Amino acid sequence: MVLVILRRIGIFATTGIVASIVTFLLLAILPGNAARIALGVQATEADVAAQATAIGLDRPAVVRYLDWIGHVLVGDFGTSAVSRQPIGPDIADALGITVILVLASVVLALLFAIPFGILTAIRQRGPDGAIFSSISQIGVAVPGFLAGLLLVTVFAVTLRWLPAGGWVDPADDFSGFIEHLILPAIALGSVQGAVLSRYVRSAVLDVMRDDFMRTARAKGLGTARALFRHGLRNAAVPVMTVLGLQIATLLIGAVVIERVFSIPGLGSLLLDKVALRDLPAVQGIVLVLVVFVLVLNFLVDLAFTVIDPRLRSES
Amino acid sequence: MTAPALSVTDLRVSSPFTELLHGISFDIAAGERVGLIGESGSGKSLAATSVMGLLPDTLTATGSVRLGGVDANLLTAGERRLNQVRGNTMAMVFQEPMTALNPLMRVGAQIAEIMTVHRTQPSRRQAQDRAALLLAQVKLPDPAQAALAFPHQLSGGQRQRVLLAMAMANDPQLLLCDEPTTALDVTVQAEVLGLIGGLVADRGSSLLLITHDIAVVAQVCQRVLVMHRGTIVEEGLVGQVLAAPQHPYTKNLIAAADLSAVDDRGRLRTPTSAPRTRIAPSRTGPSRIEADAAPPVIQPPRRAAHQRLEPGGPPIIFNEVVGEPAISVRNLSRQYRRNGGRLLAPKQIVHGLRDLSFDVAEGQRLGIVGESGSGKSTLMRILCALDQPSSGTVDVLGQPLGGTSERQLREFRRQVQMVFQDPMGSLDPRMKVRDIVAEPLQHVGRAEILARVQAQLAAVGLDADVMDRHPHQFSGGQRQRISIARALITRPRVLVADEAVSALDVSVRAQVLNLLAELVDQYRLTLVFVSHDLGVVRHLCDTVAVISDGRIVECGPTGDVYDRPLHPYTRKLISATPSMPDLVRRSAT
Repeated sequence: MVLVILRRIGIFATTGIVASIVTFLLLAILPGNAARIALGVQATEADVAAQATAIGLDRPAVVRYLDWIGHVLVGDFGTSAVSRQPIGPDIADALGITVILVLASVVLALLFAIPFGILTAIRQRGPDGAIFSSISQIGVAVPGFLAGLLLVTVFAVTLRWLPAGGWVDPADDFSGFIEHLILPAIALGSVQGAVLSRYVRSAVLDVMRDDFMRTARAKGLGTARALFRHGLRNAAVPVMTVLGLQIATLLIGAVVIERVFSIPGLGSLLLDKVALRDLPAVQGIVLVLVVFVLVLNFLVDLAFTVIDPRLRSES
Repeated sequence: MTAPALSVTDLRVSSPFTELLHGISFDIAAGERVGLIGESGSGKSLAATSVMGLLPDTLTATGSVRLGGVDANLLTAGERRLNQVRGNTMAMVFQEPMTALNPLMRVGAQIAEIMTVHRTQPSRRQAQDRAALLLAQVKLPDPAQAALAFPHQLSGGQRQRVLLAMAMANDPQLLLCDEPTTALDVTVQAEVLGLIGGLVADRGSSLLLITHDIAVVAQVCQRVLVMHRGTIVEEGLVGQVLAAPQHPYTKNLIAAADLSAVDDRGRLRTPTSAPRTRIAPSRTGPSRIEADAAPPVIQPPRRAAHQRLEPGGPPIIFNEVVGEPAISVRNLSRQYRRNGGRLLAPKQIVHGLRDLSFDVAEGQRLGIVGESGSGKSTLMRILCALDQPSSGTVDVLGQPLGGTSERQLREFRRQVQMVFQDPMGSLDPRMKVRDIVAEPLQHVGRAEILARVQAQLAAVGLDADVMDRHPHQFSGGQRQRISIARALITRPRVLVADEAVSALDVSVRAQVLNLLAELVDQYRLTLVFVSHDLGVVRHLCDTVAVISDGRIVECGPTGDVYDRPLHPYTRKLISATPSMPDLVRRSAT
């Protein structure tokens, strides 16, 4: 068990290193020179060259990468090419917000998908099952930003129950924080929830056809009891695979949803910095996003080993 | 007379389209052991699942199923009532031990659950203790440890023991077993059957044992019901039915299962309804092909030496052929690497085959017999150049294998063909029969392809109009005929068959075996026939090699090996598979 986890950590670290190199290279080969951007279009070639030397752009790529990653590892993301302020604190603040938003929407998606998926699987043949299925089908088809706009129109503009956007720090005003979180989390989670419920449905349907479910019923367990005691844990395995894959999609969704609801998360920060062509900041944010996906996938992998004893065996 | 343990009256099962069981009735007395035999599709599993109330939602059952001491017709009883009965008054063991257990739950907990659900043990703790006791009763080594195992850590035979322990946990009045040993090796099968008989007798439970295998019924049951197309066509004491079957279907079934009864040409008796396969060399096709394929030189039938492997003794070249053998294997080993336990530990080496040496003479029919994991499939794959030896040499028809490129093997591929076990999975479902059969042919004109496919299909007893159909439109036996036609279209000199009749019903099996025998004679093939079934090998092959744990332990003329086995493993294998005359003799007494 411990070895399996160690192996997973090894894989996680290797992927992280490769991802950081790719991020660095992508931004290094993009057209545009950080020195020129910092000085503006009026600057002379000599000024640009001097600036490049000043911020270390004239060094070889390998040295620049090692310098960058070495500082990142201790939490120093460098200074913004535009504001000359350290980037780290901005990223940290924005990351906290995005993590909360993404986790809240995952929880909402699961809260919707698990019961809904099970229900549509059990009622497979009934008319209600068909209705539930079409609801989730619509959920799959509606893009997150549209769901967000609809939610704002109904609950913020018309009913005036919830704020239309913005963000409140939970430490300042917890109920305000919850109010601001509800709509974006629903907008972000609804699509994922609809997609997941389809997978929950098919996983439960598959598991109900499994031989061990027949064994469970032959033991005298009713259908519902057999499903809860034996079926759901087995159905969780394929659903978790999908959940892991969806996390990346969820972050892309977060970038859009943060814009729709004016939330100062990583997505908003990224778009701002891209607009300003603030390359050091963009580089840092992209790396954080990538690592965030890796961490979540790592956690999903760990959950697999907890659920499935076949993955625990060390041979 | 006391009330029967199980009483089934006019049980009918229907799908929305058709009736599948046509009103079957039978009783099982308390403590009686009854076998229900029939071929696939006869409805025997439907009968058992109806009794358990576990039919799929799409099927409906009418009639009555009554269990001694339960005053309700189980077919109309509510789910709640059925749940009280299932697992408690009656219990069932299913065919597939590999998938019948929850993979995420320890087996001890799965056994304990059947007791906590019915509250037959006062606490979970006591249920767990009894689970370990039950595992000891089904003779699992170290039962306390076994209870903590997950299903994937146990072998198929061990899992079936776990399922048996589970079924017997609440001392049921009636135990239903659906093909409980079909997926198991013969020696394991004998042990599990012994356990079933013993446990049922100890507890005074009744048994309904469903199987396609007459030998299984003969070993365990007192009475037998024979099912055919949804009705019970014959019933009686096992000894009587085996020795003097009354119904024509039963006669055919028993005749087809008896591989020792052959006609004067050495062919098995097959159900009368099926036309005898005739190999009519049609007008132009085969004769012309015969002309362009050089007829292989056939040596007179030779007798292999009967030898066994001595423990610690020198390696033996089994069945050594003087002159030029069709297949020559020397010091063949095949190892696999598996990841070691620890992160940086060296990879473990798993021995698939260990230092094998043997010959096969041209025209010989060599059977290779072994249990799962013995290495017989690895050997077959190497003989067909689908896998590489780790060391040693393999020559087939003068072509050394191992390290040879696919281009060099082109002629080899034409001359060595295979027939696989699974008639369902080994044919591409999207190809037409004509394309499947013609696929091995290369550099041949369209007209000739058509003629050869037609001739080949005729040779395996299929009409020419099957050419434009797809595999799913055929039965298992027909699909295996298509596979054989596909294998023979290149006019090979060596045919390798891997469990080629294992998936077939006995009556179909007899037909396919006769067909293979005919074709081997006619095409003068050298046959390597890999099987776990000793009876089939005895019937078809002149020479047999017994393989165990990656080594040939005994090899010799089939009759000698079966009648006077030299190696203890061979003896164990043969005693686990009694022949039909043995069974009749045994069950008559």
